[in-house]
Parts: sequence; C-alpha cells; structure tokens
Amino acid sequence: MKKKGKETRGKEKEKPRQKGRLPKEVLALLEQEGLRTDTLLAAVTGDMDNTGEFCARWAAFDEQGLYFATGSETVVSKKGSKKLKTDYRLHSLETVPIGDYDELKTERYVSTGRLIGKKNGEDCSLTLFSIGFLKGFEDFCKTYNTFKSGKPLENAEQEGEERKCEKCGMPIPNGFHSCPKCADKNSTIKRLFAFFGGYKKEVAVVIVSMLIGTGISLIMPKISTQMLFDDVINKAGTEPAEKLIRTLGLLVLGLFGVRFLNTLFSAVYQYIIGGIMPRVIYDIKQKIFVAMQRLSVGFYASKQTGSIIEHVNRDANNIYWFFVDGLPYVLINSIMVIGVTGFLFSLSVKLTLLVLLLVPMIVLTLVFGGRFFRKLHHRFWIMNARVSSMASDNINGQRIIKAFSKEVDEYDRFAEVSGKLKGAELKLALTEATVFPILYLVIIILSTVLLAFGSMLVVRGEMTTGELLTYIMYVNMLQGPIDFLSWVSNWWARCVNSAQRVFEIVDSKPDVLESETPVMLEQFCGAIEISELVFEYEPARPVIKKLDLSVREGEMLGIVGKTGAGKTTIANLIARLYDAKEGSVKIDGVDVKDLSMKQLRSNVGLVSQDIYLFIGTIADNIRYAKPDANLAEVIAAAKAASAHDFIMKLPDGYDTRVGSGGQDLSGGERQRVSIARTIIQNPKILILDEATAAMDTATERNIQESLTRLKSGRTTIAIAHRLSTLRDADRLAVIDEGRVVEHGTFVELIKAKKEFFKLYKIQTEALKSVGIVE
Amino acid sequence: MSETTTAVQTGALTNIGFLELEKCEFYRNPNGFLCLRYEGEEHNRVQALRSLPLTQPDAFLCIQDMENQEIGILETLTTLPEGMAELVQEELERRYYCPGITDITSIKEKMGFYYFDVSIGGFKKTFSVKDLGKSIKELRRGGILITDVDGNRYLIPDLAKITPRCARQIEPYLY
Ligand SMILES: Nc1ncnc2c1ncn2[C@@H]1O[C@H](COP(=O)(O)OP(=O)(O)OP(=O)(O)O)[C@@H](O)[C@H]1O
Ligand SMILES: [Mg+2]
Repeated sequence: MKKKGKETRGKEKEKPRQKGRLPKEVLALLEQEGLRTDTLLAAVTGDMDNTGEFCARWAAFDEQGLYFATGSETVVSKKGSKKLKTDYRLHSLETVPIGDYDELKTERYVSTGRLIGKKNGEDCSLTLFSIGFLKGFEDFCKTYNTFKSGKPLENAEQEGEERKCEKCGMPIPNGFHSCPKCADKNSTIKRLFAFFGGYKKEVAVVIVSMLIGTGISLIMPKISTQMLFDDVINKAGTEPAEKLIRTLGLLVLGLFGVRFLNTLFSAVYQYIIGGIMPRVIYDIKQKIFVAMQRLSVGFYASKQTGSIIEHVNRDANNIYWFFVDGLPYVLINSIMVIGVTGFLFSLSVKLTLLVLLLVPMIVLTLVFGGRFFRKLHHRFWIMNARVSSMASDNINGQRIIKAFSKEVDEYDRFAEVSGKLKGAELKLALTEATVFPILYLVIIILSTVLLAFGSMLVVRGEMTTGELLTYIMYVNMLQGPIDFLSWVSNWWARCVNSAQRVFEIVDSKPDVLESETPVMLEQFCGAIEISELVFEYEPARPVIKKLDLSVREGEMLGIVGKTGAGKTTIANLIARLYDAKEGSVKIDGVDVKDLSMKQLRSNVGLVSQDIYLFIGTIADNIRYAKPDANLAEVIAAAKAASAHDFIMKLPDGYDTRVGSGGQDLSGGERQRVSIARTIIQNPKILILDEATAAMDTATERNIQESLTRLKSGRTTIAIAHRLSTLRDADRLAVIDEGRVVEHGTFVELIKAKKEFFKLYKIQTEALKSVGIVE
Repeated sequence: MSETTTAVQTGALTNIGFLELEKCEFYRNPNGFLCLRYEGEEHNRVQALRSLPLTQPDAFLCIQDMENQEIGILETLTTLPEGMAELVQEELERRYYCPGITDITSIKEKMGFYYFDVSIGGFKKTFSVKDLGKSIKELRRGGILITDVDGNRYLIPDLAKITPRCARQIEPYLY
C-alpha cells in the first residue's frame, strides 16, 4: 500500500460517495494507514473476523482493491455528559486486488452470516458477521457486483450501517427511522393529545373545574383546623360561649359549603371526562382498524394476528385508563403540591425550609422503592400472563390432550408454571410486607422531627397551636400527591409506549401499494405473463427464483410440485398479496403493480389452501365478495361448488352460523363453502390452491364438472398434489425450488419421461397396487 | 443418502440415517470450508446443523451439502477422531455463534425497549430487546439465550456462575 494519505487531507469537505458510510473516526484511522477514503465506493461494518472472533470489522472497496480492517470499538461515557463516545482502534488492514473476486455474496446462517468471494468459480470465505449486519453486507455485495459488471453505481445512501442515536448514543434498532427512546416521545405525545382536538371546550371546562375544585379543597385545613383551634377551641373561657358557638356554626357551614363545592366540581369534570374518553378511544380503535385493513398480508404474516388484536386492545386500554385515572390526577396533584407549598410558606417559612430539606429524602425513598417493586411486579405480571396463556392453550387443545391421554402431564406442566407464579407472588407479598413498614418508618421519623421542631416554634410563640396543626395537616396532604407523582411517570411512560405502538400500526405503510396512476383495463381478459420473477419472504432466502410462466386467456393451467416448492407463493403474487422483488407478473400485458387494485382483486379469485370462514351465516360467507347477491345466486354458487347438499342437511341450512364459535364444518365442507364464495365473485382469473384436497374423489369430480362448465371464458390456475385433479388442465407446469422445471400438456410431459412422469408413475403405481387403473 | 443403520431398535422408527463414524473423514479445503469424504464420496463444502440447538447442541448433528440435501446425521461428536471433532465444532460455532455475556452493567427499560449494557469478553456492547417473552429464553442448566431486535443472539452460559449482581439484573426479566 502506497502512502497516499497526505494528498487527501484537503478533500475532507467533499461528500463521500460510498454507500453505507463508516464512522469518521474509522475513516481517519484508515487514512493514517495510507488508504484514500474519499474514493471508496462502498463500505460496511461488521463485528467478527474471518474465523468468527468477536472484533470490530470494516470492509470497503474502491476501484483498486477490496479492504478488510480489523479493530476494536469501545464505548466510553464522556465525562460530565450523558452522551456516549466510541473509541476506535485499528489492528490490521488487509488489501485484496479488485481483480481477485469476480463476485461477492452473502450466506445466511442461524445467528451469523458470511461474506463470500467467488474466485475462479470457487467460494472463498472473506468474513463472518452477526446476523444483524446481514443487510449491510447484502448492500455491500450488491454495490460490488454492480461495479464489477460495469454498470453505473447508484448514488450514495446512508443505509446499512449500524445507526446510533445522536442524542443518547444508543444503537437504533432496525425498522425504526429514529431512536425510539428519544425522538418520538414528543411527537407521540402531541399526536396523542391531538385526539382531544375536537373537544377543546370540554377540556377547558375540565381544567377550570379542576383548578377551582382543588383550590377550594386547599382551604379546608384552614377552616377545619386553624380557625377551629385559634378562633374557637383556644378561646374557650376567654370569650362568651355563645359567640364561640356561633363562630363554630359558621365554620361547620363553611366546611360543608367547601366540601359541597369540591364535590360538585369534581363531579363536573369526571362527568365530562367520562363522556369524552370513550369517544376518543373509539376514534383510536377505529383508526387502528382502518390501518389494519390497509396493511398487506406480509404485515400479518410477520406478527401473530392474535397478538396484534390483544396488543391493540391492551394498548387502547392503557391509554384509556391513563387519561381517565392518571392525567386528571397529575393535574390535581400538581396544583395541590404548588398550592400546599404556598400555604406552608405563608404559615411558617422556617418549618417549610425544613420540609423542603426532608422532602427529597422521601421522594428518593419512594422512587427507589418503586423501582424495586416494579421489577417484582413485572415478574409477577409475566408469570400471570404465562399461567393464563397456558390455561387457554390447554382449553383449546383439550381434544388432543384427551386423545393422547395426557391429562396428568398437562396438570404437572401447569403445576410447575403456577408454582412459579406462586413464588413470584409470595416474593412480592413478603417484600411488600417488609419494605412498606420500613418506608413508613422513615416517613414517621421525618414527621416526628417536624412535629418536634414545630412545637418548639409554638413554645417560643412564633406560631399558634392552630397554625402548627394546620401545618401538619397540609404536610400530610402533600404525601399522597408526592407519592402519586413519583410513580406516575412510569405509568405515563407505559401510556406513551402504548400510544407509540398504536401509531406504529396507524403509520405502517402497506408494502403493497396501489400505483399512483392505476391502470383500468377496459376489458379484463385474464392472460397472465410471469417473467424472471424473484420473491423472498425473508431477506436472503428466495422462495421464487427467476420463474417464467405464461397462461393464455381462458386456459386452464395445472401447477404441481413438491410441498414447499412455492406454488402458493406464485398464487399470492398473481393476486398481488405480496409484491415481486424482481421480475414481473403481468395481466393482459400490464404489470399487476400498475393495475387498479379494485379491478385486480375483483377479477382474481383465490381459493386458498387455508380457508377462513368469517363469523356469520353460511349465506353471508358465500356472498362475502358480492354482498348484494340474491339468494338464488347464493344457492346456485353453492350447487356449483357441491356444497348445497351438505348445507341442506344442516338444521339451519344456509342460516347456519359458522366461524369461530359457530358450527364446526369438516375440512372438505369448508373448502366447498370457500369455492362457492369465489364462484359467486365470478372472477376472470380463478386460482384454486389445493381447493379440493380435502374432498373425496366423487365430490371432487362433481366440482370439477361444474367448474368446467364455469371455465369458459375464464383463466384457471389449479394447484394440486393429486394429479387426477388436474386431468382437465390444458397445460401443466412442474415447479421445484421456485422454478418451472417442466411444462407442457399432460401427454407431452408423460412422453418426456422426466419429473412429471416420475410423479405420475408413483401415483398410478400406488393406485395399481390396490387394483385401480386410471 | 446413506443406508447405515447404527440406530437402536426402537419399534418401527429405526432408519434415522446416522453416519458411520469410522467412515467419516472431515477436512478443511484450502478456502477454509468444511468438507466430508464419506464412503468414498467426496462432498466439497458441507454444512453442519444442530437438531437441538438449545437443549443438546452436541448431539444429532445434521450434515448437509450446499444444496441442503442431508448426507446423514452424526449422533455425537465425542467419538469422532481428534481434530475432526474440532473441525465440526468450529463450523457449528460459526453458524450458531452466540457470544457469551460475562457481565451485565445495566438493563434499562425505555419505551418498550429493553436496553442491555453488557460486556462480552472484554468488549462493551449495548443492544436492545423487544418482546421479552420471545426474546429471552431459559435453557437447560441455567443458561439464558437473548435475541436482540436485529436477530443477533447472546448467551449467558450459566446464571449460577455470573456474579450475583448480574443475576439480580436479569432475574426480573426471566419467565
Ligand atoms: N409467510 C412466510 N414467511 C416466510 N416463509 C414462508 C412464508 N410462507 C411460505 N414460506 C416459505 O416459502 C416456501 C414456499 O411456500 P409455499 O407456500 O409457496 O409452498 P407450496 O408449494 O404452496 O407448498 P404446499 O404444497 O405445501 O402448499 C416454503 O419453504 C415456506 O416455508
Ligand atoms: Mg401451498
């Protein structure tokens, strides 16, 4: 490596061209080693060397070579600030001439990945990295390969590097634009409050009545203690009893009045809050639901649907309770603290200064105690959730538990988990039983100190008895609000947290978006043309690999292939439930990505492998795609799907309620309902994904016959394992590992004696062996 | 696939496809990849997978070629000749790489993310974890496996062997 460092010093202002920038400290270190960093074309950070040792690893390339550097990265906290600083060291720099590797690729393992270089057709390991760095290395490979193929490079983007928050120095998790810890907090709060935008007047009334209500309640000790003592009790004997009693009467009346006003005002704001919150929560839930409809299938595949619903509900409830039970009291308690402090000062400056000295101690005890308990609570809560999820798992699985006669083992399993819950609960209770008395002891000691000091002031004549007693009452009034305010921040954090998750759903962009200028076909014919299609559910695991396939208008294509070959995936891509990564699916010459979503969806009917029936009657389910269908159409569709006969056997016929909680249908019956559902939609393209797999051969035959009648003018794609299902197909395609390995008519494929022939032979021999010749 | 049957007779389920240890010859090719010569057949580049990565990392190792076709299953590593066992072990460790956490400085919860400040060997590392239930798994014998939001994995080999302070840090987050 020649020393080039000096000449590049002046060029630091120039924007680096490479994709995935390295930290500038690392660039500086590389420069010291004599590497020109302003001409680097791409760079990437990793965390392991080629043997899998943990270290800081940087890879980069320019027009001359490929560079691998090993070093270390230690995070040190800067003195006097919360910011973290990273200290970089460079240990070695390795240079490979750019000509050595024709191509770079990544391989994905369980928790690691590997960067591999192709040298004369052979694979060479270049470096390992933790799986979290995969995306960065993939981009790096892509840029390298583009460069090697001589194509122009895309503009520099700052992707793929491990991003760190500028404020707190913490790494930003993938899938987040900004640090979830710092950045979003304010905007989330803003948006949360925006839900109340429509209720400005109500909110104003609430705040005003809170202010007044709380203000009034602040006067109470003045009347009930100070005036009572100083104006009545202490004057007993010195003034006429009648006058004192009259004053007493006034005091009692005043007290009632104050109480009454206080109750009135809190009733007012509670009434208003009670009226607003359900509506706000309704708005939030509605927003979430709308967002969930808009999201694409991929979103649901990556999360469990059950847990989304649970989360949404829990999050909405969290927000609800905080706004009903938390926020109003934050306001009230803050007013209390401020007001009480004012009164305290007016009563005695000296004592108040003492209190101000003591309060931090109480707050600290509360905060630390709270934190300690939070952990215990957390564990208790988790165990509780686990016990209930286990119980529900058990109830759902009763049939299987009984079938395997596993009741006793299940009981043991349950006993173990609930034993742990018991442990957590015990620990919590015991700790509470020991810690709380100690906490209160601290508080009692502090208030005794206060009492003693105050009494001294009374003795010296600096305060009246009434004033001291009032003072102590005020101090006691502080305890609740301080306690509340010391832990409400956690509650608040949880609420913001929930809000953030809610907004995450509300904001998530569907991966499958309608084009901005959707094409409306004048006549939807249904010719499908798939070319060079590549698709992956997870990065670096392609399921469809450069697949080409075409189906003519009105043709019936059969797709066969091993399980997991990608057949369902192809169906999903034609219906555009997912978007292709590379290549295209065209219908009537137009890419599905450009087609109007409405037209596409109403013209592509998908009978999918796993059938979902919605809660409702069978008739509702059949006319799902066409709610205005009349009953004649519904029955005709059911007949075409050979569903009519079994439906008529049900006591409630078409009115039978199905879906969760409804009548259980058999697998084949459900398939027939779902075929009817698709038939009534009358789509131009009909995709049957194992639509008849759960049926007996005779029923399948019936459906096929009616489908053949419906087939005219319709493009049909039938996916099946049973070859007999596909005997009406005009053409067949054999899929394996995401590619079409063979296609042609039934006869052609048999004659070719390849994959299809093998499949056919296996199946017919199986039939022959039991005496059936097809 | 090999037709070896070193399997124990357990009813009908006997043919698991074990590799016969004495016929196995593992070696490393010049490019640094693991290879296998078995019954005269040369497999250039093979991969080793654990069937039970969490509970029995060293038993039932599945040896596959690069097309993910299984060549056979190694019942255990211990009976492989010296040197070879290490080669396979190394391959496994790279695939299932899981740095051992030696010290936990702090675990902080912020906005639903749990920020772990840990030491791995001599290095400090901060990572964030979401969804504790799924991300923190208790293994047999006191081990704990943590998966961060990016899919990286970290291991606490034995809860009983780290300092009590660390144990207290992580304890509340265990199921
Ligand atoms: N949502 C998903 N996320 C990740 N991988 C998936 C997902 N759906 C399918 N896969 C994987 O994609 C591959 C192809 O799946 P696909 O459903 O297309 O197979 P198939 O040919 O329809 O199989 P079968 O005959 O069993 O229905 C499989 O390896 C499967 O594990
Ligand atoms: Mg399928």
